[in-house]
Amino acid sequence: MQKSVALSAAPARPLSFDWVMRFLPHVVLLILTFTSVMPFVWMFLGSFKTYIEITSSRALLPVSWTLDNYIQITQRIGFARAFLNTTMVAVSITFATLLTSSLAGYVFAKYRFWGRERLFTVLLSTMMVPFAVVLVPLYVTVANLGLADKLIGIVITSLCSTFGIFLMRQFMETIPNDLIDAGRIDGAGEWWIFSRVVLPLAKAPLSALAVFTFLGTWDSFLWPLVVLTSPENQTLPLVLAGLRNLYWSRYELYAAGSMLTVLPVMILYAIASKQFVRGIAMTGIKG
Amino acid sequence: MTTQTALRGTMPVPRRSLGTAITKLLRRPQFWFGFLILLPILAWYIVFSFGPLLRAFWMSTVQYDLLNPADSKFVGLRNFQQVFSYPLFWIAVQRTITFALYVYVGTLPLAIFVSLCLVAVSRGRSFYQFVLYLPVVVSYVAVALLFRMLMDPQTGQFNQILTALGLPRSLWITGPNSALPAIAMIDIWKGLGFHVIIITAGLLGIPEEMYDAAKVDGAGAWHRFRFVTLPLLGNTLLLESVIIVMGTLQAFTNGEVIGCAGDSCMWISRLVYTEAFTNMRFGFATASAFVLFVFILGLTVVQMRALKPDWQY
Repeated sequence: MQKSVALSAAPARPLSFDWVMRFLPHVVLLILTFTSVMPFVWMFLGSFKTYIEITSSRALLPVSWTLDNYIQITQRIGFARAFLNTTMVAVSITFATLLTSSLAGYVFAKYRFWGRERLFTVLLSTMMVPFAVVLVPLYVTVANLGLADKLIGIVITSLCSTFGIFLMRQFMETIPNDLIDAGRIDGAGEWWIFSRVVLPLAKAPLSALAVFTFLGTWDSFLWPLVVLTSPENQTLPLVLAGLRNLYWSRYELYAAGSMLTVLPVMILYAIASKQFVRGIAMTGIKG
Repeated sequence: MTTQTALRGTMPVPRRSLGTAITKLLRRPQFWFGFLILLPILAWYIVFSFGPLLRAFWMSTVQYDLLNPADSKFVGLRNFQQVFSYPLFWIAVQRTITFALYVYVGTLPLAIFVSLCLVAVSRGRSFYQFVLYLPVVVSYVAVALLFRMLMDPQTGQFNQILTALGLPRSLWITGPNSALPAIAMIDIWKGLGFHVIIITAGLLGIPEEMYDAAKVDGAGAWHRFRFVTLPLLGNTLLLESVIIVMGTLQAFTNGEVIGCAGDSCMWISRLVYTEAFTNMRFGFATASAFVLFVFILGLTVVQMRALKPDWQY
């Protein structure tokens, strides 16, 4: 907005094409900044409004700030429990994914064995299968193991990540072989080489993968919706979606519930955004 | 003996029998390390990935017996026949494709344009990226509830804005005709940042010399975009195209949570979920999921053929 003002307020200088090209991108990006952030502002402010106000008033700011929505939501609905469940699931899946992806990525990148490429292609091809295809059979598998309606049923199906293995392999291939061979000549064991030489070098993709996995698990909806049925086992997105059936069009409660679900994610993202952006770019560059 | 003579011709390494080769292999620490890692991971893939896929094949050809699955009757392709003669399936197909088209057409050009802007600015690029990515990281359930509030026909902020601008109000997700475009708009809003980051990375990977060469040849901004940027972005655009198509055709959460007018956002994934876990028709649900799979696979192959660049830099 300011930029366009600056543009029109500069008549002394001839309005050259270069000038437009310098400020146009900023104008576009500022508009998009506004559209990206504004819905969250509405959500944030709405969570402090009363039901009457949110449905009748046009004002952006609440007339009288109230914490009632948050109190109601945490007391009546098991938000605290859901928060704990989600955290446990997300943390364990993130750790498991980091471990399996880095190990498998390392083996696929640095070990030579018969059928390696074929095996890797087979693993990669599982990414092509829509989740809907395995939704029912995977549920039957989990139920047969006696893990239906248990958090571990969510965790066990996400112990490995094909995307994670792919990402880590891509990175591990850039680690020079000499580094690994030097360790072997010095008599270091394979695990020692992996944990002391390779892993420290892989901090950047690992942290990207960690943030990716954590956020993905935190937000996942369909699979938990199928597996977790009893209220005390549900994760945040499930409880949040349940609000819609419990309280029809009570937007102030939706807003408060959404705030509680979204806030931890936003804080984590603010801390780790650099790794995040780098991680996506890493997967995208090679095509 | 025979192995020794057979190996002599092909391998320059010391002659050895199969037995010693195996003992030598077993003595290598690399073998054990690799074996101990790959074995559990492969076991996991067999139980939780390949196994369910095979079970899905089987499931789509039987009349699944919930109480006694082993007794399920083989019905051949009858599940697929039922899927194809089910009116709601064709409604779901139409809704899914229309939704995917809206999102594709809305996302790709916009993401390219925004990425060009991002590359053009030197200051504040990481700030813009940070903000654009905010909608991507948050839960889709929260986003759906949020837009339910914003798009409420009576009290929603969107209609307030339209009124303030003197434009006619819209029914948004509650209107039978406006629901699909409205929900596609939410999807575009939520996904844009992700696509922008991938395309920006692709743009930054184009060597600067290409632009210099084009400038020397007297190419203007549009020509540089059309004949340098777009072709050299080929691989990134192919990836983007595949990601958007795969993602939108599998859409589930938004439609499930936001609650559109009637069946206006009854997508195939939602049909699969409802048939499986509300109507308990496992065979039917899995069969319709397979139809989606084949469709996505076909579209991906078509995109690979049509968009794959035939050169490298």
